[in-house]
Amino acid sequence: MSLTREVIQPKNPALNASKNLKLPHSPGIRAGDFIYLSGMVSIDPVTGLPSPGSVEHETRTILENMSHMLESAGSSLSRAVKVNVCLADIVLFDTMNGVYREFFPVNPPARTTCGVQLSMGLKVEIEVIALHGEETA
Amino acid sequence: MLQRIIIPPPTCGLDMRVNYNYPESTVVRAGDRLFLSGISAIHPGTGERLHGTLAAEAHQCFQNLSMILGRAQSSLERVVSVHAMIYDRVEYDVLNRVYRQYMPEGPPARTVWSVRLPYAFKVQLDVTAIV
Repeated sequence: MSLTREVIQPKNPALNASKNLKLPHSPGIRAGDFIYLSGMVSIDPVTGLPSPGSVEHETRTILENMSHMLESAGSSLSRAVKVNVCLADIVLFDTMNGVYREFFPVNPPARTTCGVQLSMGLKVEIEVIALHGEETA
Repeated sequence: MLQRIIIPPPTCGLDMRVNYNYPESTVVRAGDRLFLSGISAIHPGTGERLHGTLAAEAHQCFQNLSMILGRAQSSLERVVSVHAMIYDRVEYDVLNRVYRQYMPEGPPARTVWSVRLPYAFKVQLDVTAIV
Protein backbone atom coordinates (compact mmCIF):
# COMPACT_ATOMS: atom_id res chain seq x y z
CA MET A 1 0.00 0.00 0.00
CA SER A 2 1.67 3.20 -1.13
CA LEU A 3 1.53 6.47 0.74
CA THR A 4 -1.15 8.96 -0.32
CA ARG A 5 0.04 12.28 -1.73
CA GLU A 6 -2.38 15.02 -0.75
CA VAL A 7 -2.29 18.65 -1.89
CA ILE A 8 -2.72 21.12 0.97
CA GLN A 9 -4.81 24.28 0.53
CA PRO A 10 -5.08 27.13 3.04
CA LYS A 11 -8.57 27.77 4.46
CA ASN A 12 -8.05 31.47 3.64
CA PRO A 13 -8.02 31.53 -0.20
CA ALA A 14 -6.07 34.84 -0.16
CA LEU A 15 -3.09 32.87 1.16
CA ASN A 16 -3.09 30.46 -1.77
CA ALA A 17 -0.15 32.24 -3.40
CA SER A 18 0.46 29.31 -5.74
CA LYS A 19 -2.96 29.81 -7.32
CA ASN A 20 -3.28 33.59 -6.97
CA LEU A 21 0.12 34.31 -8.49
CA LYS A 22 -0.30 31.46 -11.04
CA LEU A 23 2.87 29.66 -9.96
CA PRO A 24 3.53 26.00 -10.79
CA HIS A 25 3.65 24.73 -7.22
CA SER A 26 1.17 23.68 -4.56
CA PRO A 27 0.96 25.51 -1.20
CA GLY A 28 1.90 22.22 0.44
CA ILE A 29 1.95 18.47 0.07
CA ARG A 30 1.16 15.90 2.72
CA ALA A 31 2.79 12.48 2.48
CA GLY A 32 1.86 10.27 5.42
CA ASP A 33 2.95 11.91 8.66
CA PHE A 34 4.96 14.61 6.87
CA ILE A 35 3.79 17.96 5.52
CA TYR A 36 6.04 19.90 3.13
CA LEU A 37 5.12 23.54 2.50
CA SER A 38 6.37 25.57 -0.44
CA GLY A 39 8.64 28.49 0.36
CA MET A 40 6.48 31.27 1.80
CA VAL A 41 7.03 34.98 1.28
CA SER A 42 5.21 37.89 2.92
CA ILE A 43 1.63 37.85 1.55
CA ASP A 44 -1.15 40.12 2.83
CA PRO A 45 -3.80 37.72 4.19
CA VAL A 46 -6.61 40.10 3.11
CA THR A 47 -5.57 41.12 -0.40
CA GLY A 48 -3.42 38.10 -1.29
CA LEU A 49 -0.76 40.45 -2.69
CA PRO A 50 2.94 40.43 -1.80
CA SER A 51 3.53 42.61 1.25
CA PRO A 52 7.16 43.76 1.22
CA GLY A 53 8.42 45.72 4.18
CA SER A 54 10.95 45.55 6.98
CA VAL A 55 12.49 42.18 7.74
CA GLU A 56 10.51 42.18 11.01
CA HIS A 57 7.24 42.79 9.11
CA GLU A 58 7.97 40.12 6.50
CA THR A 59 9.10 37.50 9.03
CA ARG A 60 6.02 38.08 11.20
CA THR A 61 3.62 37.98 8.25
CA ILE A 62 5.17 34.79 6.91
CA LEU A 63 5.08 32.96 10.25
CA GLU A 64 1.48 34.04 10.94
CA ASN A 65 0.50 32.80 7.49
CA MET A 66 2.53 29.62 8.00
CA SER A 67 0.62 28.96 11.21
CA HIS A 68 -2.65 29.26 9.26
CA MET A 69 -1.33 27.05 6.48
CA LEU A 70 -0.24 24.30 8.88
CA GLU A 71 -3.51 24.46 10.81
CA SER A 72 -5.38 24.12 7.51
CA ALA A 73 -3.42 20.90 7.02
CA GLY A 74 -4.12 19.51 10.51
CA SER A 75 -0.77 20.54 11.93
CA SER A 76 0.70 23.59 13.69
CA LEU A 77 3.94 25.55 14.15
CA SER A 78 4.69 23.47 17.25
CA ARG A 79 4.84 20.40 14.97
CA ALA A 80 7.49 21.88 12.66
CA VAL A 81 10.61 19.71 12.46
CA LYS A 82 12.75 21.58 9.91
CA VAL A 83 12.77 25.16 8.69
CA ASN A 84 14.84 26.71 5.91
CA VAL A 85 15.14 30.49 5.96
CA CYS A 86 16.32 32.42 2.90
CA LEU A 87 17.28 36.06 3.39
CA ALA A 88 17.92 38.62 0.65
CA ASP A 89 20.87 39.82 2.72
CA ILE A 90 22.50 37.70 5.39
CA VAL A 91 23.12 40.78 7.59
CA LEU A 92 19.36 40.59 8.32
CA PHE A 93 19.97 37.35 10.23
CA ASP A 94 19.83 38.77 13.77
CA THR A 95 16.79 40.94 13.02
CA MET A 96 14.95 37.95 11.55
CA ASN A 97 15.84 35.89 14.63
CA GLY A 98 14.31 38.52 16.93
CA VAL A 99 10.84 37.95 15.42
CA TYR A 100 11.38 34.26 14.64
CA ARG A 101 12.02 33.29 18.26
CA GLU A 102 8.63 34.71 19.34
CA PHE A 103 6.93 32.01 17.24
CA PHE A 104 9.10 29.13 18.52
CA PRO A 105 9.59 29.86 22.25
CA VAL A 106 10.32 26.26 23.30
CA ASN A 107 11.90 23.30 21.52
CA PRO A 108 12.27 25.10 18.17
CA PRO A 109 12.57 23.08 14.96
CA ALA A 110 15.94 22.39 13.34
CA ARG A 111 16.77 25.24 10.99
CA THR A 112 19.21 26.35 8.30
CA THR A 113 19.59 29.93 7.12
CA CYS A 114 21.36 31.34 4.07
CA GLY A 115 21.47 34.50 2.00
CA VAL A 116 20.18 34.35 -1.60
CA GLN A 117 18.54 36.60 -4.17
CA LEU A 118 14.75 36.69 -3.76
CA SER A 119 12.08 37.73 -6.26
CA MET A 120 9.62 40.63 -6.07
CA GLY A 121 11.90 42.77 -3.90
CA LEU A 122 11.14 40.64 -0.86
CA LYS A 123 13.62 40.13 1.97
CA VAL A 124 12.56 36.83 3.55
CA GLU A 125 11.37 33.41 2.36
CA ILE A 126 10.70 30.50 4.73
CA GLU A 127 9.94 26.86 3.99
CA VAL A 128 9.02 24.17 6.49
CA ILE A 129 8.59 20.45 7.01
CA ALA A 130 6.10 19.62 9.77
CA LEU A 131 4.40 16.58 11.24
CA HIS A 132 0.69 16.00 10.90
CA GLY A 133 -1.43 16.00 14.06
CA GLU A 134 -1.35 17.88 17.34
CA GLU A 135 1.57 18.19 19.70
CA THR A 136 1.22 15.98 22.79
CA ALA A 137 3.00 16.38 26.12
CA MET B 1 0.83 9.88 15.38
CA LEU B 2 4.53 10.54 14.96
CA GLN B 3 6.30 12.06 17.96
CA ARG B 4 8.62 15.02 17.58
CA ILE B 5 11.74 14.48 19.68
CA ILE B 6 14.41 17.10 20.37
CA ILE B 7 17.86 15.51 20.57
CA PRO B 8 20.43 17.61 22.45
CA PRO B 9 23.91 18.15 20.99
CA PRO B 10 26.72 15.84 22.20
CA THR B 11 28.80 18.71 23.63
CA CYS B 12 27.88 22.13 25.00
CA GLY B 13 30.13 23.75 22.38
CA LEU B 14 27.88 22.43 19.62
CA ASP B 15 24.76 23.96 21.17
CA MET B 16 24.02 26.90 18.87
CA ARG B 17 21.12 27.95 21.10
CA VAL B 18 23.43 28.51 24.04
CA ASN B 19 26.56 29.80 22.30
CA TYR B 20 25.04 31.83 19.47
CA ASN B 21 21.48 32.37 20.75
CA TYR B 22 20.09 30.75 17.59
CA PRO B 23 16.39 29.87 18.00
CA GLU B 24 16.92 26.35 16.62
CA SER B 25 17.35 22.82 17.94
CA THR B 26 20.44 20.88 16.85
CA VAL B 27 18.47 17.77 15.88
CA VAL B 28 14.76 17.00 15.67
CA ARG B 29 13.83 13.36 15.32
CA ALA B 30 10.54 12.29 13.73
CA GLY B 31 10.15 8.54 13.44
CA ASP B 32 13.32 7.16 11.89
CA ARG B 33 14.28 10.51 10.37
CA LEU B 34 16.65 13.11 11.75
CA PHE B 35 16.44 16.76 10.74
CA LEU B 36 19.59 18.73 11.56
CA SER B 37 20.15 22.45 11.82
CA GLY B 38 22.87 23.86 9.59
CA ILE B 39 26.31 22.78 10.77
CA SER B 40 29.19 25.25 10.81
CA ALA B 41 32.86 25.20 11.73
CA ILE B 42 32.78 25.78 15.48
CA HIS B 43 34.92 24.23 18.17
CA PRO B 44 32.90 21.38 19.73
CA GLY B 45 34.27 22.11 23.19
CA THR B 46 34.08 25.88 23.39
CA GLY B 47 31.67 26.81 20.60
CA GLU B 48 34.28 29.21 19.27
CA ARG B 49 34.10 30.01 15.58
CA LEU B 50 36.96 28.50 13.58
CA HIS B 51 38.68 30.92 11.24
CA GLY B 52 40.43 29.29 8.31
CA THR B 53 40.22 28.05 4.77
CA LEU B 54 37.13 26.40 3.34
CA ALA B 55 38.92 23.05 3.59
CA ALA B 56 39.62 23.60 7.29
CA GLU B 57 36.03 24.65 7.93
CA ALA B 58 34.70 21.64 5.99
CA HIS B 59 36.83 19.21 8.04
CA GLN B 60 35.47 20.76 11.26
CA CYS B 61 31.90 20.59 9.92
CA PHE B 62 32.20 16.87 9.19
CA GLN B 63 33.74 16.17 12.60
CA ASN B 64 30.91 18.06 14.28
CA LEU B 65 28.35 16.34 12.05
CA SER B 66 29.74 12.93 12.97
CA MET B 67 29.48 13.69 16.70
CA ILE B 68 25.97 15.11 16.39
CA LEU B 69 24.78 12.08 14.43
CA GLY B 70 26.45 9.72 16.91
CA ARG B 71 24.49 11.31 19.75
CA ALA B 72 21.30 10.71 17.73
CA GLN B 73 21.99 6.99 17.13
CA SER B 74 23.06 7.62 13.56
CA SER B 75 26.33 8.11 11.66
CA LEU B 76 27.82 9.59 8.48
CA GLU B 77 26.90 6.35 6.69
CA ARG B 78 23.22 7.00 7.51
CA VAL B 79 23.02 10.45 5.93
CA VAL B 80 20.29 10.63 3.28
CA SER B 81 20.55 14.12 1.85
CA VAL B 82 22.86 17.13 2.10
CA HIS B 83 22.58 20.73 1.03
CA ALA B 84 26.20 21.81 1.08
CA MET B 85 26.33 25.61 1.15
CA ILE B 86 29.56 27.36 0.22
CA TYR B 87 30.37 31.06 0.05
CA ASP B 88 31.78 30.95 -3.47
CA ARG B 89 31.37 28.55 -6.37
CA VAL B 90 35.13 28.62 -7.04
CA GLU B 91 35.58 26.50 -3.88
CA TYR B 92 33.48 23.65 -5.31
CA ASP B 93 36.46 21.35 -5.96
CA VAL B 94 37.97 22.17 -2.57
CA LEU B 95 34.72 21.13 -0.90
CA ASN B 96 34.61 17.91 -2.91
CA ARG B 97 38.15 16.91 -1.90
CA VAL B 98 37.23 17.09 1.79
CA TYR B 99 33.75 15.70 1.20
CA ARG B 100 35.07 12.48 -0.39
CA GLN B 101 37.16 11.70 2.69
CA TYR B 102 34.06 11.58 4.90
CA MET B 103 31.59 10.15 2.36
CA PRO B 104 33.68 7.50 0.58
CA GLU B 105 31.07 4.85 -0.26
CA GLY B 106 27.54 5.43 -1.57
CA PRO B 107 27.49 9.11 -0.61
CA PRO B 108 24.15 10.78 0.15
CA ALA B 109 22.08 12.76 -2.32
CA ARG B 110 23.53 16.25 -2.44
CA THR B 111 23.01 19.74 -3.80
CA VAL B 112 25.67 22.43 -3.54
CA TRP B 113 24.53 26.05 -3.24
CA SER B 114 26.69 29.11 -3.48
CA VAL B 115 25.14 31.51 -0.94
CA ARG B 116 25.92 34.06 1.77
CA LEU B 117 26.22 32.43 5.18
CA PRO B 118 25.67 33.83 8.70
CA TYR B 119 28.75 35.34 10.33
CA ALA B 120 30.71 34.85 7.09
CA PHE B 121 31.14 31.11 7.52
CA LYS B 122 32.60 29.62 4.35
CA VAL B 123 30.67 26.37 4.44
CA GLN B 124 27.48 25.05 6.05
CA LEU B 125 26.04 21.53 5.90
CA ASP B 126 22.27 21.09 5.95
CA VAL B 127 21.69 17.40 6.61
CA THR B 128 18.86 14.88 6.76
CA ALA B 129 19.69 11.41 8.07
CA ILE B 130 18.04 8.27 9.38
CA VAL B 131 18.71 6.52 12.68
